[in-house]
Amino acid sequence: MTDITKGAIAPPRSFLSQDAIQLFYRLLAALLICAVLAVMSDSFLSLGNILNVLRQASLTFFIASGLTLVVLTAGLDLSVGANVALSACLAGTVIHTTGSPALGILTGLASGGIVGLLNGIMVTALRIPSFIATYGMLWVLNGLTYWYMAGETLHGFPAGFRQIGSGYLFGLPIPVYLLLVFLGIGTFFAQRTVWGQEIYAIGANPVAARLSGIPVARRLLLVYAVSGTMAGLASIIFLSRLNSAEADIGESLTLPAIAAVLIGGTSLFGGVGTVFGTFIGALILTLVLNGMNLLAVSANWQPLVTGVIVILAVWLDMKTRRRAQ
Amino acid sequence: MREAAVVAQPNPLQRIPGVAMVLALLIALFSVIAPGFLSVANLSNVLVQSTILTMLALPMTLIIMTEGLDLSMGAVLTLTSLCVAIVSLATKSMLLGLGVGLLVGTAFGVANGWLVAIVGIPPFVATLGTLGMAQGLSLIVSDGQSVVGIPHSVRDIYSATFLGIPVPIVMALVTYAAFHALLYHTRFGTYIFALGGNREALRYAGLSPNRLLIAVYAIGGAMAGIAGLLMTARMNSGHPTAGLGLEFDAIAAVAVGGTSFERGNGWLLGTLLGVLSVGVLRNGLNLISLPSSVQVASVGVLVILALFLDGLRSRA
Amino acid sequence: MSDALPIEVTSPTPLLELRGISKEFPGVKALDDVSFAVYPGEVHMLLGENGAGKSSLMKVLCGAYRADAGEFYYKGETVAIESTADAQKLGIAVIFQEFSLVPHLDIAQNIFLGREPKGRIPGTIDRRKILAEAKRVLDTIGFDIDPSTVVDKLGVAQQQMVEIAKAISQNARILVMDEPTAALSDRETELLFALIGRLKADGVSIVYISHRMAEVFALGDRITVLRDGRRIDGVKPADVTPDQLVRMMVGRNVDMTYPRHFADKPGEVLLEVKGLSASTGISDINIEVRRGEIVGLCGLVGSGRSEVARAIFGADPVTSGEIIFDGKSISGEPDLAARRGIALIPESRKSEGLALLRSVSDNLVVSALKKLFPSGLFDQRSAQRTADGLIRQLRIATPSARQTVGLLSGGNQQKVVIGKWLAAGSKLFIFDEPTRGIDIGAKSEIFALIDRLVAEGAAALMISSEQVEICHVCDRAYVMREGRIAGHLTRNELTEENIVRLGMHHA
Repeated sequence: MTDITKGAIAPPRSFLSQDAIQLFYRLLAALLICAVLAVMSDSFLSLGNILNVLRQASLTFFIASGLTLVVLTAGLDLSVGANVALSACLAGTVIHTTGSPALGILTGLASGGIVGLLNGIMVTALRIPSFIATYGMLWVLNGLTYWYMAGETLHGFPAGFRQIGSGYLFGLPIPVYLLLVFLGIGTFFAQRTVWGQEIYAIGANPVAARLSGIPVARRLLLVYAVSGTMAGLASIIFLSRLNSAEADIGESLTLPAIAAVLIGGTSLFGGVGTVFGTFIGALILTLVLNGMNLLAVSANWQPLVTGVIVILAVWLDMKTRRRAQ
Repeated sequence: MREAAVVAQPNPLQRIPGVAMVLALLIALFSVIAPGFLSVANLSNVLVQSTILTMLALPMTLIIMTEGLDLSMGAVLTLTSLCVAIVSLATKSMLLGLGVGLLVGTAFGVANGWLVAIVGIPPFVATLGTLGMAQGLSLIVSDGQSVVGIPHSVRDIYSATFLGIPVPIVMALVTYAAFHALLYHTRFGTYIFALGGNREALRYAGLSPNRLLIAVYAIGGAMAGIAGLLMTARMNSGHPTAGLGLEFDAIAAVAVGGTSFERGNGWLLGTLLGVLSVGVLRNGLNLISLPSSVQVASVGVLVILALFLDGLRSRA
Repeated sequence: MSDALPIEVTSPTPLLELRGISKEFPGVKALDDVSFAVYPGEVHMLLGENGAGKSSLMKVLCGAYRADAGEFYYKGETVAIESTADAQKLGIAVIFQEFSLVPHLDIAQNIFLGREPKGRIPGTIDRRKILAEAKRVLDTIGFDIDPSTVVDKLGVAQQQMVEIAKAISQNARILVMDEPTAALSDRETELLFALIGRLKADGVSIVYISHRMAEVFALGDRITVLRDGRRIDGVKPADVTPDQLVRMMVGRNVDMTYPRHFADKPGEVLLEVKGLSASTGISDINIEVRRGEIVGLCGLVGSGRSEVARAIFGADPVTSGEIIFDGKSISGEPDLAARRGIALIPESRKSEGLALLRSVSDNLVVSALKKLFPSGLFDQRSAQRTADGLIRQLRIATPSARQTVGLLSGGNQQKVVIGKWLAAGSKLFIFDEPTRGIDIGAKSEIFALIDRLVAEGAAALMISSEQVEICHVCDRAYVMREGRIAGHLTRNELTEENIVRLGMHHA
């Protein structure tokens, strides 16, 4: 005596999941942008440019990948850029004083992770909404970094260390390999671990998740800590790529990271999105900015364009959500 | 038999406004550790420097009451102050500069309101986006350079006095009076409470929440325009990064002042005291030679503390 | 209760009449050719199951929905109700369950929202006038309170009075009330009925939606029953019995089967609660639940039943007392309770029990993730196999395990919530209003399921406002009153009267 779903409206499900379809469209968009740029600029398809795009995208991706997990829980981490700056400066100092790149890397990761953990504590224990807590943290970190650096710049790091960000392996920049590694790890974590499933559940309905026996507070601490640690990782890459560190390197990093996450299809309202999507998002954003560069558009326009893209991505997200409801 | 309100009396923490305690503590602290803090010259300096923040924090209070946020205020302020500088330089007229600044600020305010109300984008994302846009525009119109050589009429606004009181303070007081009247004595003000507290109630009353919301953000943009004039006057130039980050101080002032981020309750006097708290904090730290970066960090800590206390009080 | 006599309908022309109203949404016909008339000064009861169309009819009446077809007549003349303004002009006002008050404004501002008396300067409000006018309206309905009281300091019953004052101030001649006594205490209910009597005497009509038979017969002058969007019949209370009404609402003979196999002797004690108190308002709760039992937890709305459930589950902080589950003391967050084998099926399944945008499969495995995947590695196909098994076992009607759970009907959604705890292997099931919003067919299934669960060794604690259900299904029951346990009823003592008697407060 089954009661056929009264009022159910959905058409039969295709074998491709909703997520896969969304990713497919975004991949198409990326390819389309490539095609357009290839036509409009001769230098787009040059090897140097392509590698440049890949490397730039990977830098954005490192930050954005950890951020994806936070956004999946319907949170936001606005402090990532400032986190990268502080971690880079601390790591750089450690490398200079101890001469050990390994210690520097550890410092960068630890600093990023601790900041992330503090964000997590504010959100879970102090019950401060994530966008306010991380916004406050952003300014605290900014202040600390500027005070610590006192206007100076760190430069000159050991050649071996610099390989991480500037080196090549079989013709590809090392950051690209790291990107693939973390893309794999991130996707595996989100889709193939129990923790990942719990994070999606928390994002979809945090109250129901808690009442279903998921330790919500512990998982939130985890995602903010991961976001912070990935920022720490990004700081190492930056440090080794730029061969310098100063207080303001984080300022232009947060908005592109958020843009990448949103373009990639992760919803601000939580529960929907993938790490792979963020990768495509980072790619799309980097392609657009790269295109602007190739077409000799002043760099001053970049924050403007990024801001517009963020708004468009959110608008698209809301339309998709409304249709699903 | 007259009925009493059913809900229990507020706990002791709620009777004294938190911000008053915070301000008193800060003043006490810096009187002790900062030389010259309590001098008339210094205190009046704090008041004058706080006027620009007041112009931003008051409309920010209204926006936060509607359960929104405007992260773009600092960037818009920067842009409008540049507009004031550029236009007054070109036309030798302060009023025209103010006019253009006001126009640009209001335009951004309306854009924010439209994104939030009509398109439905969450306020902090929408204003984050417009922040980027305003920042970008500031770089573009100034080409990264300061704008100098503006007419004296602009600079004089900051240093002039009216009946012995510095003009900026007069402007801030007038602004406060205007906002107070707006919020507590006009229908529009009543509706602002409803925007945050129960938007449906407005619809049932036949009003349009969207138009009201746009108006609230537009007011924010317009105030950023007026504050732009003050900023240019203070620096006697237009600078592409002048006001960046002031929205943070404004949000801090509102949060410390006791306006909660949920359910439409706001307290203008609290914001004013919050502005003073932030001003005292920065001034005090300045006097003991801590760089502005630490000041910013401290304001951050202050906000977190204020929100934590707010959480405690609403749970008690 | 109310001592207002039903008014003999002498005037042949109804105050408001709806003829042939239809309203359709994609996939659902909410109202199908409904005709309905309201006479001046009558209390017109509107009955129907969930989904019958009561709320749609209400929204059409007040102009929030536009009818797709049909006509409206006011005092015999054709009118159009296409917006809330139209309805207000005709004097129709709705008191919703979720109030339309603005929390940080005072009573006067709330009453006159959008219609404030103008001050001398354009745009301002005349403060003195608004307070005086508000006082006048409040006096009319006999509510003596300072109109400058901020509304979020009022209790629920008082807020409802403000809502009514607001409607009266708009010269409402027809008040539509949606389960107004749901959140009221008995004394407040009496005051409300007295007010309704006064309004009737003034010629105000009241369209009253209720699920409580006692009210329907005590207050109603006429009763209209809706079912599946159609008007089944309109009757006078004197001409009908409650059973007949239920049959009209349900459409078939309500011989509700409560398939229950009572065990000869109860099993071992699974849950022991001693002296439990929580900041949510419950104190000194002592409860015992054994394997094989369904123990009921009754009491009026607001007596603290859900709070007890949440405290046992760890969802609310406990201030004193002890919870002993399966021999071991337990204290902590819900994840601990879930791990140990306690399950909570919450009252609002959509907002607290399910992630509506996720699939049936995702929702079914969410509480069992650690049990199904102890290594920490999640496998989608394995999860779906488990889900498919549960779908078959519970007969959940869904095209596939990948269906979005928000699209399922209420009964099937509830099965998913129960299913997720089955997957987790829970031993104690705490149900909070398990059959609310579920049609009769699915209700039987749910009870059969609970019966099977406890027969296989689990235990159940069931909160329900349906006394009939409790009496048929439970081995025994605790009755709560104002945050405390007022009494315990054994199987023999378990009657509706005893439940109500223990649950009501004195005087």
